[in-house]
Amino acid sequence: MAGKIRTPSDIARETLENAGRRRFFGKAAAMGVGGLAGSAALLASINDGAKAQGEPIKVGGAVPITGWAAADGIEFQRGLEFACEDINAMGGILGRPLEPVFEDTKEQGADNLIPAIQRLIDRHGVHAIINGYNTGAVCAEYDTVADAGILYIHHNTDIVHHDTVKNNAERYFGIFMGDPAEYWYGEGLLKFLNGLGEKGLWTRPNDKIAIVTGSQNYSVVIAGAIRDNAEKYGWKTSLFETVVVPISEWGPTLAKIREDPPAVIAVTHWVPQDLAQFMIQFVPQPTDSLVYMQYGPSLAAFREIGKEAVNGVLYSTVVASLQDEFGNAYNNRYKEKYGASASPLVAAQPYDSCSYWAIAGALAGGTGGPGEEAQNRKVASRLRNMIYRGTLGTTRWFIPEQAATPYPDATNDPSLGMPHQYLQIEDHTKVPGLIAPSPYETATFKMPPWIKA
Amino acid sequence: MDTFTQIVLSGLTLGAMYALSAIGLSLVWGSLNMLNMAHGALLTLGGYASFAAITQMGLPLFAGLLGAMAVGLLVGLAIYAAVVRFMLTDPAFETNIIVASFGLAIILENVILKLFGAYPFTQPFALKSGLYIGAVHMPYQNLFIIVGSAALMMATAWVITNTRMGRAIRATAQNREGAELMGVSVNLVFAQVLAIGGMLAAVSGVMLSSITTLAPTMGYDPMLKAFIIVVIAGLGNTMGALYAAFILALFEVSVQYMLGVRFGFPALLLLVIIALIWRPDGVFMKPKAQRQ
Repeated sequence: MAGKIRTPSDIARETLENAGRRRFFGKAAAMGVGGLAGSAALLASINDGAKAQGEPIKVGGAVPITGWAAADGIEFQRGLEFACEDINAMGGILGRPLEPVFEDTKEQGADNLIPAIQRLIDRHGVHAIINGYNTGAVCAEYDTVADAGILYIHHNTDIVHHDTVKNNAERYFGIFMGDPAEYWYGEGLLKFLNGLGEKGLWTRPNDKIAIVTGSQNYSVVIAGAIRDNAEKYGWKTSLFETVVVPISEWGPTLAKIREDPPAVIAVTHWVPQDLAQFMIQFVPQPTDSLVYMQYGPSLAAFREIGKEAVNGVLYSTVVASLQDEFGNAYNNRYKEKYGASASPLVAAQPYDSCSYWAIAGALAGGTGGPGEEAQNRKVASRLRNMIYRGTLGTTRWFIPEQAATPYPDATNDPSLGMPHQYLQIEDHTKVPGLIAPSPYETATFKMPPWIKA
Repeated sequence: MDTFTQIVLSGLTLGAMYALSAIGLSLVWGSLNMLNMAHGALLTLGGYASFAAITQMGLPLFAGLLGAMAVGLLVGLAIYAAVVRFMLTDPAFETNIIVASFGLAIILENVILKLFGAYPFTQPFALKSGLYIGAVHMPYQNLFIIVGSAALMMATAWVITNTRMGRAIRATAQNREGAELMGVSVNLVFAQVLAIGGMLAAVSGVMLSSITTLAPTMGYDPMLKAFIIVVIAGLGNTMGALYAAFILALFEVSVQYMLGVRFGFPALLLLVIIALIWRPDGVFMKPKAQRQ
C-alpha cells in the first residue's frame, strides 16, 4: 500500500463499492490499509452508506490547552478533531456526525479537571469524553462522569485506575483507561534489559541500576516498580534518588552516579527539557552505563534541546503510534494536515479511542447523552468485548479493570496487547528507531556513543 | 576531589541562576516597596524576545540580548503607565499591587503562549563548548552567567548608591512624601525603576533560559527563588542578594549531595527561617536601632 495515502472517504467508498455488507467482514480482515485499517472500514460498513448529516453527537475533550502540558494538550485536541473528521467521512455513528468540543484543564489536577468535565456534560451534553492525559486528579473525576452515565476514555497511565474501577465496576461501567498503567514501565524495563543480554547485544558491566525519579506520583510509581522487582530479575539498586522538579542542575545527582558507576541509569522523571539537561550534563563526563528514560524522549523537544548529547538514549512508551503500516499512514496524514512539527504519536491516543468508541456506539445502535445510561451501558459492553487494532497497536481490555493490556509485559501475544515500545535515539536529527518488542521493530539496539568499552 | 569540584561548580551555577532571578525583583521591591508578581513573566518575556530576534528575525546573538533589554524596558514602562500610576496614591498600594501584578503575570504568560505556543525551545543566545576543571566539565555558558550575574548585581548596586537617579530612588524608598517635598518626582522614579527592573529581568531571562529551556512557565520557579533571596538579603540590599544567592545555592547543593536531592530545597527553607528569626530585616541589613 505504499504510495498515495488513502483517506477515510477513499476507504469508505471502496468498502461500499467493492463489498456487499454480508461479504464485508471477511474482506475487512484482510484489508490492513492506509492507517485506517479494517476496523475503520467496519464502521463504514455498519453505517451502511449513510452520510453523516443528522443531528450531531457531541464528543468532549478535557485537555490542557494552556499550562505546562499544553504542547501535548494541543495534540490531544487535534487528535480528537482528526478522528471525528475521519469518522464523519465514514458516515459518523449511524449517520449522525461527531462534533468535538473542548474544555481547558490548564494546570490539570482535580480542581481543573472536574469543572472541565462538568462543563462538557452540562453545557455541551457530550455523549463521551475522550482525553489524552491529565495528571494529578487520581480518579477524582470518575464520580462526575458516573453521575452523568456517559463514557469516558482517558490515557492517564495511572495504576490507581485499576483498583478504582475493579472495586466499583457497576458504577464506573463507562470509564476506560486507553493505555497501560505506568506500573508496567518498571517491570517491563527489567525484562527488556535482560533481553538485551540474552540476545548478546549488551554485556552488563555489573548488576547495579541507578534509579532517578521525579517527585510526581507517576514517576515515583515507575521508579518503585523498578526497585521492587530489581532483585527478581538479577539487579541491585545502587542509587534511588528523588529529584524535585523542574530541575536543570543535575550536578549532585551525577556526582553520586559517577562515584559508583552503574550498568544502567533509569530516569523516570518525564519532562523532556529536564531530561535533555540531564544528558547535556552527563555526556561530557559519562559512565559506562546505558541511560534509560521514559516518555519524555518521545517528544521532539527532547532531541531538539539535547542535540548530540541525546544520541544513544534508550526510552520507552506504553502508548504511541507505531512505525508500521497502520501507524505510518496515520502519522503521514496527520503531519500533512497539521504540519511537520506536529506530534502524531501523542494525538494517536484520542484518535484511536474515538475510533473504537464510535464503532462500539454503532454496534450498540447509537450512543447516549447525559442521563441516557441504559444506552451507554450497551456501548460500554460492546467496547469491553472489543479487540481493536489501531495506530497504537492492539487495544484489549483488562476486565474488570477496563484498562489497556500491555504487550509483552502482561501478555506474550502481540495481537492481544498494546506494545510497550522501546526506542533508541541513534541520530538526534532523525526519528528514533523502534528496537522492541517483536514484531514491531524497525531498528536494532546500538551501543551508546559514550560507552567506549 | 572531582566530587568536591562538581559540587562547588554546581553550587556556583545554581547561585548564578538564583542571583539572576533576584536582580530585577530586588530593585523594584527594595526601592518602591512594590512586590512585582509579574517578575517571573518578565524573565520569560526576555527569554522569548531574544529567541524571536535571533531565531525568527535572523539577528546576531548580541542583538538578541539587546532586543530582550528593549522589550523588558518597554514592558516595564507599560506596567507603570497602565497600572502602577493609577494605584500609587492608594493607601493600600503595597497590597493592591501584589494582586494587580499577579494579574499582569497571567496576561503576559498567556500572550507568550499565544505567540509562541507551549512547545519548549532552546535559547539560541548561548556559548558553545566548555572547559575541564580536573575531570569535571564546566560549560562556558555557565561561567558566563556566573560572571554576568555578579556584574549585573554590582552594576545595579553602583547605580543605586552613586548616581543622582539612585539617590532619588533611595529617597523615594525611605519616605515617598518626604522625597516629593524635596522635589523628587515620585512618578518619574517609579517609571525609571520599573523600566530598569523590566530590562534587568529580561536580561536575566535570556541568561537563565540559556542553561535551562524556554517555556511559557519558566518564570515560576525563579520567581519563588528570587522572593526567598530578596527576603533573606533584606529589601533593597542588592549586594546582599548576590551573596545570599551564592551562599544558599552552595548550601542547597551540598545538602542535595549529602542527604539527597529532595532534601535540598526544604533544608534551604529551614536555613532561611532560622536566619530570619535571627535577623528579621534580612541577614545583610544592619539591625535597626530601637529606642528603649
